[in-house]
Amino acid sequence: MTVVDHNAIELPPRISEAEVSDYLALLKPRVMSLVIFTALVGLAIAPGHFHPVLAFTSLLCIAVGAGASGALNMALEGDIDALMSRTANRPIPRGRVTRSEALAFGLILSFFSVMTLGILVNWYAGALLAFTIFFYVVIYTMVLKRWTAQNIVIGGASGALPPVVAWVAATGSISVEPLLLFLIIFFWTPPHFWALALFRSDDYARAGVPMLPVVAGPDATRLQILLYTIVLVVIAVAPWPLGYFDAVYGIASLLLGAGMMVCAVDVYRRRERAESLRATRKMFAFSILYLFALFSTLLIEVVVRAVVPLVW
Amino acid sequence: MASLMADQGPPDGIVLTEAQKKSRRQRSIAIALALGVLVVLFFAVTLVKGPAVLVRPM
Repeated sequence: MTVVDHNAIELPPRISEAEVSDYLALLKPRVMSLVIFTALVGLAIAPGHFHPVLAFTSLLCIAVGAGASGALNMALEGDIDALMSRTANRPIPRGRVTRSEALAFGLILSFFSVMTLGILVNWYAGALLAFTIFFYVVIYTMVLKRWTAQNIVIGGASGALPPVVAWVAATGSISVEPLLLFLIIFFWTPPHFWALALFRSDDYARAGVPMLPVVAGPDATRLQILLYTIVLVVIAVAPWPLGYFDAVYGIASLLLGAGMMVCAVDVYRRRERAESLRATRKMFAFSILYLFALFSTLLIEVVVRAVVPLVW
Repeated sequence: MASLMADQGPPDGIVLTEAQKKSRRQRSIAIALALGVLVVLFFAVTLVKGPAVLVRPM
């Protein structure tokens, strides 16, 4: 019996030429920046004193955990990334990093981010960060993404958790305020990503990803965008009358919500190809501004409240 | 000795190209920096927490 086939062609071992920038790209820096920002707001509005070193440690761990999720996501989606123009330039489709290298990178970063947050800050936050990574990688990437058009609705929970992780890191407990931030991001995610999916639907169809515009068509998607935007605007304004956030936030939320509604109605009404494309791109861009401005209001309020007593 | 080495021809095994050596060096430096940050982080938090470093909510 021959155990080793001497006639087999021996391929030369693959030597990586991946640079540090390729590994940084695996972390999805743009998504990471949004995660850091929303987590910063979660930290800022948390009550009580939280030492700056611990706050920095928490943010760093949450950021690295988010980056690890991105790397694991790319490791698992290398095949579909290669088929979509938006993602074809990622390190795995370009052949700069192999899927197993990305997988190892993501797993190591996940381990270190969770353990560091648990050991240095608290284990509730560490466990919640672990759950966030698990939800994004296993529930969203491995199960939902290729299976249902509701992928980003349910999967959006993982993107909404960072401010909750930050709050838990600062306080060691959970409260209504971080859950409100969670709900805002959760209901912001579908209109944001469906706007993107509307003008990238060919990409998703080619890759076989059942995004709503591919499965249900653009008209149904436009209606869903409008409905989710209405829910989002109501939920984003609600903390003001409920007494959790003050009037400055409430007015900012109303104005920004009006902007989101205008964009969503525009997306719903404009069906002609060029006009529709313009409306969905505008909706996508404005939704980023919306979330950034809404959370900035909370951050600015905290800073002003901290600085004003020092000045007067 | 020199003639003996010359008779041996090119060395066996994998010879890295300049690009591969450069990227490997970059990656090694990045790993070293990351480990350095981790050490500094643990040291700083130990100073901040003081004796309470061993008291953690579970």
